[in-house]
Amino acid sequence: MQLKNKKIAGLLSVATCTLLGGNAQAESETWDIDSALLIYNETDRVSAIEPVINAKKDLGDDEILSMKLVLDGLTGASANGAVPSSQPQTFTRPSGKGSYTTQANETPLDDTFHDTRVSYSLNWDKPLDRNNRRNLGFSFSREYDFTSVGANALWSHDMNQKNTTLTGGLSLELDAITPVGDTPQGLTDMDDRIRVSSSEDRTLLDLLFGVTQIIDKNSLFQVNYSLSQANGYMTDPYKIISVVDSSGEPAYYLYEKRPEDRLRQSVYGKYKRQLDNKDIITTSYRFMSDDWGVRSHTLDLTYRVKMENGYFIQPHVRYYQQSAADFYHYFLTDTQAIPEFASADYRLGEMTATTIGVKVGKTLSDKHVWSVRLEMYQQSGDSSPDEAFGQLQNQDLYPDVDAVIAQFNYSFKW
Amino acid sequence: MKKTINAMLLLMVMVMMSACSSLGVKPWERGSLSRDDMLMDADALDLAFDEHIYFSKEASSGGQGFAGGGCGCN
Amino acid sequence: MKKLILLLVLLSSSAQAEIYDINEFSLENYRGKVVYLDFWASWCKPCQKSFPWMNDLKSKFPAEYFDVVTINLDENSQDMHDFLQKVPAEFDIYHDANGQAAQTFKVEGMPMSYLIDRDGKIQSRHIGFYEKKKAELEKEIEGLL
Repeated sequence: MQLKNKKIAGLLSVATCTLLGGNAQAESETWDIDSALLIYNETDRVSAIEPVINAKKDLGDDEILSMKLVLDGLTGASANGAVPSSQPQTFTRPSGKGSYTTQANETPLDDTFHDTRVSYSLNWDKPLDRNNRRNLGFSFSREYDFTSVGANALWSHDMNQKNTTLTGGLSLELDAITPVGDTPQGLTDMDDRIRVSSSEDRTLLDLLFGVTQIIDKNSLFQVNYSLSQANGYMTDPYKIISVVDSSGEPAYYLYEKRPEDRLRQSVYGKYKRQLDNKDIITTSYRFMSDDWGVRSHTLDLTYRVKMENGYFIQPHVRYYQQSAADFYHYFLTDTQAIPEFASADYRLGEMTATTIGVKVGKTLSDKHVWSVRLEMYQQSGDSSPDEAFGQLQNQDLYPDVDAVIAQFNYSFKW
Repeated sequence: MKKTINAMLLLMVMVMMSACSSLGVKPWERGSLSRDDMLMDADALDLAFDEHIYFSKEASSGGQGFAGGGCGCN
Repeated sequence: MKKLILLLVLLSSSAQAEIYDINEFSLENYRGKVVYLDFWASWCKPCQKSFPWMNDLKSKFPAEYFDVVTINLDENSQDMHDFLQKVPAEFDIYHDANGQAAQTFKVEGMPMSYLIDRDGKIQSRHIGFYEKKKAELEKEIEGLL
């Protein structure tokens, strides 16, 4: 009886397809479009709005071409690196035209930031034979004071009935930095305005090796090792560091200076499992270490709950912890010798950061999916480090960064 | 630091070797694994946004993909 | 009225997908014919791309000498039925939920197809579906007829 029903179902399906004209053939003629809008907002600091569109097309036999366009509009203030003082502080703008004043006991923020970034990338993924794929990528990114071009190649090899995939890749990137008001000489007095060049550059070479392994019908893991070598100008031309006197008050400010080489290594692992109820758990961990003395641990966890009618809800937690770069200082003192390198950029300091968020979405029909993501990011470090003295003991030397991230996604076929 | 990295690499190779021989599924048992949300790069745009945000706020980048240096951002 | 239209469509459609259980499958049923035997599943993207071609193939050669027979490997038959709602099939389908036939035929990839001659012997095996290999396969079938 059951078989008969199945037969009828089969007949019905033929009938409906005939009625609808069967559009299966047209499938490969379409583009898969992923679009998204990101709104990023830090309390009292930077805010950004970032639309993205990614278009992907199967050229036939699983040869895939994809193109991505990202726009990024940034405004707001950013910590300039100087410590707060019991007195108001005045800083020359990076352009040299004009100045801005920070009130007593407040974190000095440079409010001149507004920038628009445009970035394009192109990817061409092609099967070479049944077990080998090659992916070539090109990228170009431009903003007011920064231009970047990059190319990368990834090769992947399937083994063991495609249960194991080995990946190897190489990426090369060239960056040009043309700072507003030219490049300052590192570790010289901000007020002397010593300039060395109108533009600087750097190169980045990345190598990546990975293994992806299928464990069983519902789970798999991936392990990557990557090595990244950067050479050239890696200093932030807008960041300064306070030199304080014996009472902890700023005497003057130096432009920061970072080494011209950086070697980073990281190990990354990801594990994914679909549970019996079709929920999906994804966890990843990254260990990163570099020769600037930064070591970091990143843990990430998402849990995707499947609900009725194509809805899903996906909570997300991320935890990040890093040690400070060797040349990171909250400040320098006017009695010490000026070190070879120094930066007070909070991003190179010791810190922990947590993100919690949730994503909700719905699959409307074949490949039409919308989703909304809302996340909260909080970064904190040691606000009252042991080295603080004098008036610095009353100041917050590592203010928290709090940000809200809102994102809207819509994917469709076109 | 070097030791930690070396130990991790060794572990990775060992896991890989043992994994290759005993883990896996038959070609026709990939129904769940081929779902879009079970792909390693599912939510690709989210991952790219996160990479960009954390790159500009923290001293680490890359891992799943290339580290890059892609912006002069603050 | 709708029922009437449906009935008319059913009666007028030249070829129909028949779904059987794998236990009913035997190459003996097709003895004397050249058979294109294809293993597929609803989740396999290249499988879907091969469907229009397999429909064409079936109508291209005389039914007394040639047949397209497929084995579906979805664990859950509902997935197969949902798929067939979207993608028309005009050939016989055997549902093999446990992959027993796939084991016997040593399926190495998805889709995987076998060309079987009139005596029931496997003449060639093909892993995957590639647009550029269609002509080659059709020639091979002609050779066996």
